[in-house]
Amino acid sequence: MKIRIKRQRPDGQPYWQEFLYQPVAHENVAQVLDTLNYRDDLYDIEGKKAPHIAWECSCQQKQCGACAMVICGNPSLACATFPEELPIKNDTLIVEPLSKFPVIEDLRVDRSILYENLKASELWLTDPARVDSDRYATNYDAAKCLKCGLCLEVCPNYLKGTTFFGPAMIPETYLSVMQGKKDGLHFHKNVAAGCSKSGACQKVCPMQMDTLGMFATLSGRHVLSKKIHKADAGKEAESPL
Amino acid sequence: MKKKILIIGCGLSGLSAAVTVCENGACALLVSPYTSERAQSVMAAGGMNAALDRQGLGDTPKIHCEDTMKGGAEIADPEAVLAMCEAAPEITLWMERLGTVFSLGEDGRPRQRIMAGHTYPRTVFAGASTGKQLVTALVRRARVLEADGVLERRTNHYFLKLLLDAKGRCGGAILWDELNKEVISLRADAVILASGGQNLIFGKTTGTISCDGTAAAVAFTQGARLKNLEMIQYHPTTIETPSKRMLITEAARGEGGRLYYLEESGKRVYFMEDKYGEKGNLKPRDVVSKEMYLTGKQVYLDITFLGEKKIEERLSEVSKLCKTYIHLDPSKEPIPVVPCIHFFMGGLAVSHNHETTIPNLYAVGECASIYHGANRLGGNSLLAALYSGRVAAKDAVKRSGFAVEDEDRQRDACREEFDGCHSKDSHFPSMYLLNNLSEIMNGKFGIVRNGQDLESGIEDLDFFLQICRKIKFDALIDPYRNYAIKYMLLMGKAILLSAQARQESRGAHNRADYPETDPAFCAASYCTYADGEIRVSFEKDGDHA
Repeated sequence: MKIRIKRQRPDGQPYWQEFLYQPVAHENVAQVLDTLNYRDDLYDIEGKKAPHIAWECSCQQKQCGACAMVICGNPSLACATFPEELPIKNDTLIVEPLSKFPVIEDLRVDRSILYENLKASELWLTDPARVDSDRYATNYDAAKCLKCGLCLEVCPNYLKGTTFFGPAMIPETYLSVMQGKKDGLHFHKNVAAGCSKSGACQKVCPMQMDTLGMFATLSGRHVLSKKIHKADAGKEAESPL
Repeated sequence: MKKKILIIGCGLSGLSAAVTVCENGACALLVSPYTSERAQSVMAAGGMNAALDRQGLGDTPKIHCEDTMKGGAEIADPEAVLAMCEAAPEITLWMERLGTVFSLGEDGRPRQRIMAGHTYPRTVFAGASTGKQLVTALVRRARVLEADGVLERRTNHYFLKLLLDAKGRCGGAILWDELNKEVISLRADAVILASGGQNLIFGKTTGTISCDGTAAAVAFTQGARLKNLEMIQYHPTTIETPSKRMLITEAARGEGGRLYYLEESGKRVYFMEDKYGEKGNLKPRDVVSKEMYLTGKQVYLDITFLGEKKIEERLSEVSKLCKTYIHLDPSKEPIPVVPCIHFFMGGLAVSHNHETTIPNLYAVGECASIYHGANRLGGNSLLAALYSGRVAAKDAVKRSGFAVEDEDRQRDACREEFDGCHSKDSHFPSMYLLNNLSEIMNGKFGIVRNGQDLESGIEDLDFFLQICRKIKFDALIDPYRNYAIKYMLLMGKAILLSAQARQESRGAHNRADYPETDPAFCAASYCTYADGEIRVSFEKDGDHA
């Protein structure tokens, strides 16, 4: 099998490099990269000495989101993607970095925008968390968001640098609102206003997060709070009479 | 001007320390290679202990302490353990208020379950992802402190050395800034190490490869003491995948899972039940791991009798893991399991306030050693991570930084050491030594050890330590690993020396040549480093860090 990797040295231009590889049964892409890197010497298919492949890796079992990348055109976690289950063309496994984040080196990308947007959205609690047994299952799921960035990679509307922060904000917004956060303005401005509900985020999520369901609940609450706000404003206006 | 505390490592203990520092009027700088979402803490499944006694069974922090001491074979520090157990209910409440999505009881408060070695059900949990749920809640708290300007979080930074004053007191740290390819120094009033266990020294374990023991080993060479390094917990039920070992939760045995091996005739031998009776499969981790090792056979965990429906309801994570990574349906076939390294009870020796032997340097979480003695009880690691972070932070904010007059010289010397590890003309990868290190550690330091193997492992590591001093590594490959490998080899040697010195069997430490527990060794082992030599000694009280 050939492993074709889109590479980039820091401050360099992207280039492709191919390696020959003998796959092992039930092996995932993370293990393929690891095995290449653990070779005493790494040579590409043309026999040229190749540098170590930079990629982010931690738990290796779908719990940390570090190894998100694009594999044979599909954004996915390397540790949960198995070459033997992919429709591989020309016996070549193609691996690229996520395209919506700046590349640090090879398959490592800078996902700091995700954290900056969570902060800009003021996603935190100011009072002790409200416990809601009825919402337990969705709150539990929402708190499992890996911050891997796969949902941003597939989102048709997310582009770096715009006011649309993308679906990665939905789980944390849902959790915070359900636990007592009052202000939903950032959700309306930076998520709801730009979302076309393609559902791509939900399909790609390694945690199978119900982002559309959370989105619908948050939108419903937002509309309701606007109505209540309007009604309250009306009452206040009428009261002097 | 506010005091500044530097925290190295952003898992649960580092986060707990950072948040507590800020809540006590100081500023925190949290540095790490990756974000908290990638930390090993997110993998912790079981839960966190607190003697809340909701069920009115009579549980108290004192009984929690007694269970912890007994589980640790009586060599932990009892005063420190009691203080942690007394703080546990308040820590649980803290994490509830921060929004941890705990599994709830009918009263709307966290449910509690019993784990091996505990007298009462006292483990609060959040489904099968307690660690992740705690991290999410603390990261959210960290976010608002960051927005308030009292906390700064930096990733892509690797710890290289401590900045020390002329008297060997800590005044900051030297780090590798990977993005800017620079060796930098940071001054601080105090430094808290929260760098995790020593996983990578053993290659692939149940944890992450980010925990490599380097920070603790560097601090060791700069004057800190290491403690109880030979105490390493093997989790009995892990599955072997091409990439790593993955943990099958203790809950599988809690639900009735049975361990067996096959005789040549094909007959199943339920060895735990044969030796310990009906509840034999529920014995603590060290006992089960040792018994599995002694069979000398492939052991299987059978949960097929529970049926698909129950497995999906109660053990869905086990089912997902087996189906995804070993293509096995546990409702149809038994799971082949092997014991694997899971937790490090040993680490940097600390006093009750979590300060190491280097003034103003603290250690928290798995890189510190104080509560677990010779074996850790399930549910005590998350508690210790949160508690230690808080204790260290509260003490650290009272400290004033020591003047480091020669900061530039120390940074330049560290840069020279860092750059001197590799050369563009070298084709020798440090990965080669890393592979050798893990082979030696796994081959010579198993579940059951003997003096001969340990001696031979020490000789092998000395050989590779000598190689490290002489050669330069391939500059194209991972510069941080090139720097770290000699410290990892040194930590490996300290582990083997500690295991060699403890000539008895106790808790997680089993010696084939000294199978009995010896009261003379009812003490903690300590490693000190001077003039390139490691010395091991034993002290009764863990408070003499």
